[in-house]
Order: sequence, then structure tokens, then C-alpha cells
Amino acid sequence: METWPFWLAGLGIGAFVPLFALTTGKALGISSGYSEMCALAKPAGAERWKLWFALGLPLGGLASALIGGGPHASASSPEMASALGLNGAAQLALLALGGAFIGFGARMAGGCTSGHSIVGVAQGAKSSLVATAGFMVGGFAATWIAVLLAGGAQ
Amino acid sequence: MKPVVFLSAGALFGFLLSQARATDYAAIHGMFTLTDLHLFGVIGVAIATAAAGLAWLRRGASTALNGERINVSPKPYHKAIFAGGLVFGVGWALSGACPGTALAQLGEGKLYALATVLGVLFGTWLRQRVAAPAVKPAQAS
Repeated sequence: METWPFWLAGLGIGAFVPLFALTTGKALGISSGYSEMCALAKPAGAERWKLWFALGLPLGGLASALIGGGPHASASSPEMASALGLNGAAQLALLALGGAFIGFGARMAGGCTSGHSIVGVAQGAKSSLVATAGFMVGGFAATWIAVLLAGGAQ
Repeated sequence: MKPVVFLSAGALFGFLLSQARATDYAAIHGMFTLTDLHLFGVIGVAIATAAAGLAWLRRGASTALNGERINVSPKPYHKAIFAGGLVFGVGWALSGACPGTALAQLGEGKLYALATVLGVLFGTWLRQRVAAPAVKPAQAS
């Protein structure tokens, strides 16, 4: 799929932050939207907008796929198969495990790659710089361990 | 503000994440193996652009178009942040996704991302359950 060059995508994501704040008064943040999904049974509070924002994300992914000639439904990831030699149920298990780490870690750190690494780092906030350092160290470590384990298994 | 405003904003952001290839497992894996520096470029430009935009906003406006006070103050620092960041980073690498891109992937037709999304929901629930008395802020409801 033909996608934007890095600088255009970076400009778009970066410009989104102040424009969203100017329109709604709010700071972009996504991981806390999952807290709202977990709290669906409770009455809507001040954070319910995060649920709507999260539900919009798949629509944007669909639009992006449509202009790329898709979407093409796929039940497994060929990229993950070529990177780690994993297929089918093993892929899904690793995705779910990774997801659980993401959710747990985001709530521990108080944000994710959008709220901390874009919005917070753009303001030079200590909390976001430390969180982003953690994201990177954890990501590099897990990737190299996974690559070594996958190489050893092949 | 009406839910449709936030639904539309989410759709726009999901579109941008997809065009940035942040929804592509290979791009995340390539970033962490240093074989594809595309996403470092995206993140760098995004941070610089957001910083300039927020600085401009701070000088020019304190009230949003909907009349609300603009509130993008930095998140407070606490001791669990780095450890939480490490845990998040491991998940980012293993799933090749983050909370936003997993949802955008679903829209792209990557149905396997449902496993990631359910995992994130479980992790979120688990952390809030084990940390409920210490960290969870008082619920408005």
C-alpha cells in the first residue's frame, strides 16, 4: 500500500495535537480510552469522549485502506511470520500477550505513545520523557530477545 | 461536545496513523532492529510540529473554539512511570502496535489486531484492579 512520506505523516500527526486542543480544549490521549471501554457499565463521566475518539480510529484505518485499494481482510500477519517465523494461533497468543503488556504498562505510566511521546515530549514534560525512554528501552530489549529466540528456534 | 466530533477526530487520527505506517508490524519491528528508520522520522517530525503548534497555542489562545478552557498541561511525574514505560515498550514490540494503532489496524482489515485490542483491554483492567487503592484517581461517577 502506497502511504505518505515520513515528513508528511509526521507533520499531520504533529499538527493534529494543537488543532485538537484548539477545537475541543483537550489533550490527545488514547490509552485511557480503554479505561472508558472497561467502565462502559458505569454512568458516563467527563472522560467519555475518549471512548468516542477510540471508536473513530478504526474508521480512519478503513479510509486509509480504501484509498490504498483495500481493505484486504487478513486473519494473520505475514510481516510477523517473516520477522519471527510465527503463524496462526502462536501469532494471536503473542499479540494478546503484547496487548496485555501495553494496557498494563500504559496505566502504570499514565499514558502511551500519543499522550506521552507526542503531546508530553513536545512540552518537554519530565514524566513523558521518562515514559518514552521506558517505551524505547522496553521495545528494543523485547525485540532483540524475540529475534534471538526466533533465530534459535529455526 | 457531541460524540460525533470526537468520533470524527478519532477517524482523522486513525487515518494519519495508518498513513504513517505506525499500524505496520514491519515498520515497528524495523524501528527496533534499526533496519527501517521511517517511524523515527515520523515521530521526530511529529514532536517538533506539535511543540511548535502548542507553543503558538499558548501565546494566542486560552479558550478552545467550543468555549472550554484549553487544558494540555503535562502529566504529573511519579515513580512507577519508567517501569510502566518498560512494560509498555515490551508490549509495543511484541504486538507491533500501540493502543491507537491496534484499533486503526482493525479498520485496515487486519483482523488479528482483535487479539491485541482484547489484550490491551485485559491489561488495562488488570492494572486498575491491582492498583485500585493507590493509583486510580477518584471516579467522577
